[in-house]
Amino acid sequence: MKTRSRFDRRTFLGLGATAAAMLPLSQSLADTPAGFPRRLVLLFSPNGTIYKNWKPSGSGNTFTLGSILKPLEPFKDRLIVADGLRYAPGGAGNAHMQGPAKLWTGSSLLAGDEFSGGGGATSGWGSGISIDQHIAKETAVPTKFGTLEFGVQTGGAQVRSRMSYAGSNQPVPPEDDPKAMFDRLFGDFGKDQAELDAVRDERTEVISMLRGQLSSLNGKYGKDDALKIEAHMDSLTEIQKRLDKTMAYPEACEPPTIDMGLAAQDNDNFPAVSTAQLDLLAMALTCDMTRLATFMWATATSGKRFTWLDIDQSHHDLSHDGDTNAASQTKLTQINTWYAQQVAYLMEKLDSVPEGDGTVLDNTLIVWGNELGKGNVHSHHPIPFVLAGGAAKHFEMGRSLDFDDTHHNRLLVSLCRYMGLDEIETFGNLDKGTGPLAGL
Amino acid sequence: MAFAPDERVGAFRSNAVAPVTELIIEQYMDAAEELAAAAAANADDLLPCAVAQADDACIASFLADFGRRAFRRPLSDAEVADLQVLYDRGAKVGVEDGVRLVVQAALQSPFFLYHVEAGADPEGTSSPVRALDDWELASRLSYFLWDSMPDDELFEAAAAGQLVDPEARRAQALRMLDDDRAREAIGSFHLQWLRIDELGLLEKDSAVFPEFDEAMRDAMRNETVRFADYVVRQGDGKLDTLMTAPWSFIEGPLGGVYGVEIGADQDPDEPVDLDPAQRSGLLTQASVLAQHAHADQSSPVFRGVMVRESVLCQTLAPPPPDVANVPPEPDPDATTRERFAEHTSNPACATCHTLIDGIGFGFENYDGLGAFRTMENDIPVDASGEVVGSADVDGKFDGVVELAARLAKSDEVRACVNKQWFRFAFGRLETKDDQESMDAAYQRFGDTDWDVRELVLAIVDTDAFAWRRTTEGSK
Repeated sequence: MKTRSRFDRRTFLGLGATAAAMLPLSQSLADTPAGFPRRLVLLFSPNGTIYKNWKPSGSGNTFTLGSILKPLEPFKDRLIVADGLRYAPGGAGNAHMQGPAKLWTGSSLLAGDEFSGGGGATSGWGSGISIDQHIAKETAVPTKFGTLEFGVQTGGAQVRSRMSYAGSNQPVPPEDDPKAMFDRLFGDFGKDQAELDAVRDERTEVISMLRGQLSSLNGKYGKDDALKIEAHMDSLTEIQKRLDKTMAYPEACEPPTIDMGLAAQDNDNFPAVSTAQLDLLAMALTCDMTRLATFMWATATSGKRFTWLDIDQSHHDLSHDGDTNAASQTKLTQINTWYAQQVAYLMEKLDSVPEGDGTVLDNTLIVWGNELGKGNVHSHHPIPFVLAGGAAKHFEMGRSLDFDDTHHNRLLVSLCRYMGLDEIETFGNLDKGTGPLAGL
Repeated sequence: MAFAPDERVGAFRSNAVAPVTELIIEQYMDAAEELAAAAAANADDLLPCAVAQADDACIASFLADFGRRAFRRPLSDAEVADLQVLYDRGAKVGVEDGVRLVVQAALQSPFFLYHVEAGADPEGTSSPVRALDDWELASRLSYFLWDSMPDDELFEAAAAGQLVDPEARRAQALRMLDDDRAREAIGSFHLQWLRIDELGLLEKDSAVFPEFDEAMRDAMRNETVRFADYVVRQGDGKLDTLMTAPWSFIEGPLGGVYGVEIGADQDPDEPVDLDPAQRSGLLTQASVLAQHAHADQSSPVFRGVMVRESVLCQTLAPPPPDVANVPPEPDPDATTRERFAEHTSNPACATCHTLIDGIGFGFENYDGLGAFRTMENDIPVDASGEVVGSADVDGKFDGVVELAARLAKSDEVRACVNKQWFRFAFGRLETKDDQESMDAAYQRFGDTDWDVRELVLAIVDTDAFAWRRTTEGSK
């Protein structure tokens, strides 16, 4: 396929894109008290951490970051290091398989033979909706995209490579390719209005024919197929809604310059793809194209080789090495520190865009989780959670907290409440408790 | 153009139970628009007439013909009328735009994207069992044997109503197996069955295996595809040959791993003789051995699990929660086998690892790339193993050559291969309703002295192939 320049690209969904200063018009449920968008970003990194280098010393608002989280030092006053949270046990699959699904759904994996893990564990997909999808569903968010899912080399559809769920058995795939993501977000920028209108009208007509064909299939098939037909129909409805939406973007909104030619699945391109995806994520949030995003680095059991840190072994192989293997502990610390640098990079980007008296970061909450606690024993406690950003002053940031082996479902409830779901008490089918996370 | 990839059903990729999401529907739209623009630029090739001469008859013929290829069946009048509306809309600008819109819509249609199998209701009732019609059978055949759409000859057979007849269906299947397009599917089965279809992503520690590169990776994949295709389509087709052949298809970059000289004039499609004391069929191929290994060393565990799960179709119990499964540290003074001894000496691990490592240790003659070795860290390799917990292959063995010979004669393995092919053919797991069909295929497999080619033809002949349950598609 021939190379084309950035603005010569084929139009994608959506309309109008003239940059106009976006003033808060009416305050919707999800807006901050000052009338700006309230945002939630959920991050995943794999294979657990090295706890002793992750854990801050001190507690409350007097603490010193451990070496892994040192890259976040400039934002220390907008961090909560949340120790002592665990995944509730239960459900099919092994720890690697369960991790990504439990992380934001607080729910078990379905029993099934679709996926197998080491040692013969098998499972189906996750059995519950994730908080990003749930919040989008419950709060008519006025953005172009209800949610956005970013991936960095998450690869094939696998229980280990999906963390966002639209419901039981409904994983939502992330986009791994920055070029494709650029198209989704900015494909129609700089297009002539008449051209955009023509594309919209054609698509509308095609979609109408497709809806007719899907309807003709209704009632003729079993319930699994009926679900697929319904999901297809719903997807078309969402796409049509986006076509019909006229967007106005804030001044700071402009397409980032990213490397369009990146081979997105090449191991050694992992850092470059990460940067491009973070640039796109930061701009999607700045443009208020979405207020809910998930971002997944690799997959559970990731075998990425951090060659850019001169680490040739696979991350997963290293994560199995024993605590007494100093060389492996050092490498794993370096790997986790690298992930922290990525988080810091995202925070810098968001903090560089003014919004009201503060910045976009001030109205954003980033939550960074992991599939495991400790890699070599596959533990699900404690999961190294970090909350980052201003969180629209919803939480008192700048603290190091220990939640003493509490199920992380409490955190999920707190995050839903932060996004405006004030009534929510429980989240996920493994939730044994009630209410938000006490002390957060 | 890239789509969110499919999930697996058992060992095999399938989207039979894949949820439909907005992203994938958007990707389909994206792809359809891109392809439609390309098609419109070549409208002369697509239309049965020159663009300048496109009259109503020419367009009607285009809609019927293109529609049939896209939906893999003739279109109803209403469906043609829908496409005509889109054509007319585009044609206001020009014939090419009309063609573009038709292609754009057809390639996003559920009848293009899905295997829609309405079947015929035999009693005119709402029976849950439907006989597939000729067009649906044509698609089943072509996607099973070619991983692609039917060709003209298959469409003609469908139009002539021949495919519901088992004899004619077998004749088509034979023709299709003889066609080189079958190579893709035969290769794909073996790669997925042995869980080596992600070889393209395989990475090795460059400090330990500096010779490993992309060319070697490609050669590994090519070897297995060529070998399986050769045995099944050109050779004797026997499972025994797949499991024990002391020859294979070695490209230059793999010569070092096999310890053979591959001359520049070596025809890659000609088999290369290997040392029968070292190599024996699929399980000793570099693809299998390198994939089921660590980045810096072999893995008795991965290899043992692969044999248990893929070749014997056994399900192993998961390790207990929070088990301290820390692999032993690399040790320059010990062999891999010695380092993994705790697996079987510690009773907490032994239950499963006796099943796994007993087989996996037998692979210790092959390093992390699949090269044959008799020494590791200057210590002689012990490749003795023992199979326990199987139906008919229990017992001690020494090395994979002996193990493979035993597996090749095992009814448990034969039944497993039967099951794996069945899953591959239908893109779904078997259910209890499939038992008769699986038994019938197994019977034919056995009657032909375990000829995989005959097994493939037998599957085409089963009720499961010719009928569907309205509730199937997922378990």
